[in-house]
Amino acid sequence: MLLADEVATHHPVLSANPYQPHLARIVRIHKMVENNYLFTLRFAEDHLARAFRHQPGQFIMLSVPGVGEMPISVSSSPSRPEVLELCVRRVGRVTNALYRMRTNDVVGVRGPYGNGYPMQEIMGNDLLLAAGGLGMAPLRSLLWYALDHRDKFHNITLMYGAKRPDDMLFREELLALVDRTDINCLLTVDADDSGTWKNHVGLLPTLFDHAKIDPLRTYAAVCGPPVVYKFILQRLLDLGFPKNRILMSLERRMKCGVGKCGHCSIGYKYTCLQGPIFTYWDAINLPEMI
Amino acid sequence: MKILKLPKEKLDLFASVVQQFGELHAPVEQDGKYVFKRLMRWSDARLEYDRTILPPKKYFLPPRETLFRYRPGEGFVPHTEGLDQRIILFGVHACDVYAINILDRVFAGKYPDPYYQARRKHIAIIGIDCSPDKHCFCRSMRADFVDHGFDLFFYDTGDYYQALVGTALGDDMVLATGSLFEPVDGTDIDDYKRRSWNKRRAFQLEVEIRDLPEIFEMEYQSEIWEELGEKCLSCGSCSMVCPTCYCYDVADHVELGSRAGRRARSWDSCLFASHALVASGENFRGPRASRIKFRFYHKQRGFVAEYGRPSCVGCGRCISACPVGIDVVQVIDRLRRVQDVASR
Amino acid sequence: MSKPTVGIFGLTGCAGDQLVILNCEDRLLDIVALIDIRDFLMASSENDEGCPLDIALVEGAVLSRRDADKLRAIRQRSKILVALGTCAVWGGVAAMDRGKDRARLLEEVYGEIGLTYDSSPAQALHEVVKVDLGIAGCPIEKEHFIAAVAALLNGDTPLYPEYPVCTECRMRENNCLLIERGELCCGPITAGGCEARCPELRVPCVGCRGPAGDTNVPSFVAMLEQKGFDRQQLAARLRTFAPEGVAQ
Repeated sequence: MLLADEVATHHPVLSANPYQPHLARIVRIHKMVENNYLFTLRFAEDHLARAFRHQPGQFIMLSVPGVGEMPISVSSSPSRPEVLELCVRRVGRVTNALYRMRTNDVVGVRGPYGNGYPMQEIMGNDLLLAAGGLGMAPLRSLLWYALDHRDKFHNITLMYGAKRPDDMLFREELLALVDRTDINCLLTVDADDSGTWKNHVGLLPTLFDHAKIDPLRTYAAVCGPPVVYKFILQRLLDLGFPKNRILMSLERRMKCGVGKCGHCSIGYKYTCLQGPIFTYWDAINLPEMI
Repeated sequence: MKILKLPKEKLDLFASVVQQFGELHAPVEQDGKYVFKRLMRWSDARLEYDRTILPPKKYFLPPRETLFRYRPGEGFVPHTEGLDQRIILFGVHACDVYAINILDRVFAGKYPDPYYQARRKHIAIIGIDCSPDKHCFCRSMRADFVDHGFDLFFYDTGDYYQALVGTALGDDMVLATGSLFEPVDGTDIDDYKRRSWNKRRAFQLEVEIRDLPEIFEMEYQSEIWEELGEKCLSCGSCSMVCPTCYCYDVADHVELGSRAGRRARSWDSCLFASHALVASGENFRGPRASRIKFRFYHKQRGFVAEYGRPSCVGCGRCISACPVGIDVVQVIDRLRRVQDVASR
Repeated sequence: MSKPTVGIFGLTGCAGDQLVILNCEDRLLDIVALIDIRDFLMASSENDEGCPLDIALVEGAVLSRRDADKLRAIRQRSKILVALGTCAVWGGVAAMDRGKDRARLLEEVYGEIGLTYDSSPAQALHEVVKVDLGIAGCPIEKEHFIAAVAALLNGDTPLYPEYPVCTECRMRENNCLLIERGELCCGPITAGGCEARCPELRVPCVGCRGPAGDTNVPSFVAMLEQKGFDRQQLAARLRTFAPEGVAQ
């Protein structure tokens, strides 16, 4: 289900243009964490807003007119269509410009791109989501997709760790999951100065003590900074996870998103086409993957 | 395939007729080097050239190209100027046609690049036979002959050019000349075979590409990459002149006093420090050694996995354009050389 | 919205970059319509020397206490400080011999009285104050200046090439002066953005735009030595526009 295919812009010379951004309006800007805002977008054209479908784990190319374009993973679930939620970290020129924008301002969107999580393969199994810090952004789409299709999955476990409670993305929404019985939602912080944190305190891997995981019937989706990969991946391997059931979401420089510009190439795979979701087996077989 | 022959003395006549199909471009001399350029007169064409500084890719993927114009309220409007200009590239060598065939695959796929596709559709290619010089190793890369990707291809068989007609357009060109072309007979076929044999023997460079992907995997940690990293100037010359390097950068250029502007792409190189740098500051190929390794790896190994053959066509341009003499043939030779285990 | 206030200043330098601004002829009226130039000694006799500035453009290098004081004062009254030209960004020609004994140089040139002059080894602006943006070039490219104004007006920063001159030289399909003619061309280590203007005219690059984003000077020097260039001569050429140790 590709937007680029569905709404090919017809032009005498350029019949279908995968680089064509479509205008979208910022309908909400929500400050989740300092320099990590959640932008909610809706395509200016109604039929696009309705036609747009993505897979959890896919990304879009976001244009800030007059400044540039960048890849951003979609944080909203396809089960909640019509708007796109993007968790954008303020790190460079383009994101700085985006942060200066207001509600109702117009940006450009094209996509969705990338493989996304292999949902058909995951369905019918247990699902473990493990995220550290900002790694929750791409996993949140998968989380809500799974919860909205609850009958398609067996046990669902979320393990999410942040430095302090204030650094936790989607905090209120995730806290509301803690008491639910259809998901084992484990939230931890490295330290809590506020004294108000009622969940776990300790590093992310300590959450394994509170989860029951059957490595042979579980898919693990992991995302986070390198240190998260380092500890979580080892833990999963120790538990006996097959390497092709550990799914990672990778970040690379991208200029096109459609396998042309070359920047996201790793060895012989394009992160934008064959990724950004790679199995751990892919990762250890491709140079410079992690 | 339709095969005909053109008496050599009638080539200029053919050239004048063929101009009705588009603007004629061919290699012309520039201080002892050659560049593809618009011909002002046929006598400027140099069909017996070694190699052009830039490959014909500059016609299909220009060094700089505007993709969109942006205006608040209007959005992004594709920039299509010049995309349908009819050009005839006269005198393209087999390796360069082969390279265009490779670019065709890169710019097709799941998301065809409409800018490239439009140009490819409007630019005709008339190939020409050549003789290898000291930097040519197209034979080793199996790009010394092409069977598609051109409209016409001329082989020099002495008194004649033997012409392979590759497309309907090529056929129209032949027909437009009336009776300039003649059918080939047994003698002509023998002439061609002799020519082919002579060309084969003229190669001075050779590399073995069979099992090269495996060798690249095995030598991934080789010290040769560090050595090359110390030598490489990251000047990007090899990428610019490479007929199959297609990496590009994209930037928005805003107009003075507004948010309007244009989005343009320009040739990029994996040897630049910024190539794999992300906004957060992490660089997945920071050290120069890892960048030059990536370049070789992607061409000679990565492409095999993706498209079934290396993307290098052996044109020799990167060898002659490297200021510090980094030579792909020598690199491959060194990777292949059996080393004493004790000296590792 | 009121127009941003701008000041354009020269420290020690040739004023060539300010001249480029004045030479934007066809665009000058557009620029002036968008910004409020309050302080520009080279172009105007009536200047507001104390007002706060949104943008200060400073040309030249710091070569005296007076320069340094002036620069600090500009920094203090400006939100954004732009280093204009290679002297401001890298120290430039004046910094060529900044490692040498200053007193002896002054005496050699001016005689004994030279020792009383206010003169210090050349420094790039960023060595004295915080610089928000650098536009290199000797002189700067007109288009780069306009791009900077366009971007700064929107609150953005312009992007300039970090790749070397060779990249653009190859794009323009010039014959390589280094390889084909064995000339001392600094293209491989010099920042591009000039469209290889000199090599295009068969004049070797002298490095006037300062170092490219990622340079390999040891390999560059070794290659030239192999071509027969003398180490001293090379060192002098490499120091001409950006002395050693002026890290950005």
